[in-house]
Amino acid sequence: MTTGGLEHVWRGCAPDVLAALVRGYGDFEAAEDALQEALLAAARQWPTDGLPDNPKGWLIRVASRRLMDQWRADRARAGREQLVAGRSPTENLAPAADVAGERDDSLTLLLLCCHPVLTRPSQVALTLRAVGGLSTGQIARAFLVPEATMAQRISRAKSRLRQVEARFSVPPVEQLPDRVAAAAHVLYLVFTEGHTSTTGAGLHDVPLADEAIRLTRRLHECLPRSGEVAGLLGLMLLTDARRAARANGDGSLVPLAEQDRTLWDRTRIREGIGLVEAALPSGPVGPFQLQAAIAAVHAEAARAEDTDWPQIETLYGMLRDLAPSPVVTLNHAVAVAMVDGPTAGLDMLGPLLQDEQMRRHHRLHAVRAHLLERDGRVEEARVAYAIAASLATSIPEQRYLNTKAALQKGRHV
Amino acid sequence: MKYVILIHSNPEPWGHPTQIYTAEGRALPPERHDEMDRQFDALMTEISASGELVTAEALADPAAATLYRWSPEGHLATEGPYAEAKEHLAGFFLIDCDSRERAEGIAAVFAQPGGVVELRPAMWSGGDDQ
Repeated sequence: MTTGGLEHVWRGCAPDVLAALVRGYGDFEAAEDALQEALLAAARQWPTDGLPDNPKGWLIRVASRRLMDQWRADRARAGREQLVAGRSPTENLAPAADVAGERDDSLTLLLLCCHPVLTRPSQVALTLRAVGGLSTGQIARAFLVPEATMAQRISRAKSRLRQVEARFSVPPVEQLPDRVAAAAHVLYLVFTEGHTSTTGAGLHDVPLADEAIRLTRRLHECLPRSGEVAGLLGLMLLTDARRAARANGDGSLVPLAEQDRTLWDRTRIREGIGLVEAALPSGPVGPFQLQAAIAAVHAEAARAEDTDWPQIETLYGMLRDLAPSPVVTLNHAVAVAMVDGPTAGLDMLGPLLQDEQMRRHHRLHAVRAHLLERDGRVEEARVAYAIAASLATSIPEQRYLNTKAALQKGRHV
Repeated sequence: MKYVILIHSNPEPWGHPTQIYTAEGRALPPERHDEMDRQFDALMTEISASGELVTAEALADPAAATLYRWSPEGHLATEGPYAEAKEHLAGFFLIDCDSRERAEGIAAVFAQPGGVVELRPAMWSGGDDQ
């Protein structure tokens, strides 16, 4: 097996190993450190010694040994003799044979990493490390921050969990919906981070989008009846299906309308649409399901001009009622313009120009410029493209907008 | 989102923290300096703990700078400060925040007597999705 294949195995085992350690020893921080050491040992030994018969058992054994060594070293000053004597490293740490139990464990672990006392960036980092089994260095590179910054973020998060004595158990029923929603949001953030940055020059050693899909798939397996988790997985698959068509050879972005749709990944689209179709009729509709449904409508159009805009307009209207935000209004305006013409869309953008945050966002001006251009208002379009370019912080985006502004100049009114 | 906080100042003599070496800074009573230091330390502790502080550097005297200009014949190097600048770049902080509002909140604390603080979004090589 290749090193990449082996890494796939040890990272796949990571949440169950950690869960077993935390269940056995109770100390999340120490267990997490021990797991990291065991993963390092696997990275050193498996490529030469070969894959162990029972990889999970191997990792648990190595990690437990580290934990015991650590405790022996600490024993004198911490007075933990009692605790060590009372817990044997192997007796209750055999990997659970029961698959349902394992699923619950990795869900419990994810929910623990998304504990409300942690800030969102800390939840994201801890999830990738504890549930995703990524090293601190890999996470730091994925988010383009120095390793020391990421190490600090993770260690703060762990000690915060210890301070509040967060328990390794499924949260009480009344807290569960909020915790699952937080976990879904964390996975969504991981996905968008990976999805938007993979088009850039930087190729990461771990594609975050793939990681987010893997973990969301796992969450969906644990909670198959959660419509929003299914919707989130569908949204990720449908968005990721366009990956190959999203960037030109030079890394510049290709807008949805101009993408070569034959490059879209049909398998992902089929799976995504299946998830949306199963989730929508079965329960309360949520924002992820609606966004997935919108992505599904786009995916079903063989050519951009075949897009069912009236349906997309309706779905954005529902999204606005359910989770109103300036960004939703902006997307809704695009759909309205496609159905009723550019003036109708421009009317909806008016109030957004008064919004403190939105008016500094390049996308509002880019959309406005595009609608003005379609409406034949060339000079206004040029000004709006120029404003959008000056606000953009993405290099390909800025290049695209500057080109559009320059093109308006050459036109005759 | 990443932002740089650029500290422009012209301390005499060149030194860090710059605000105690400017005329405006010298005019302030020590209690005001202590208070600003406390505020600044609290902010540093906060953004280090949250992971928002990515990196920071204080820069040496602009007299130690070398400037390079391009000419068709080759690169031309000159020793010493960039003469046209009234205030020099004294140091920078790179931060990584959830929102522009947060970055503005952080940058505001850097305001100092006898200097100008500039907050600039960093550009990146990726693109926003449609």
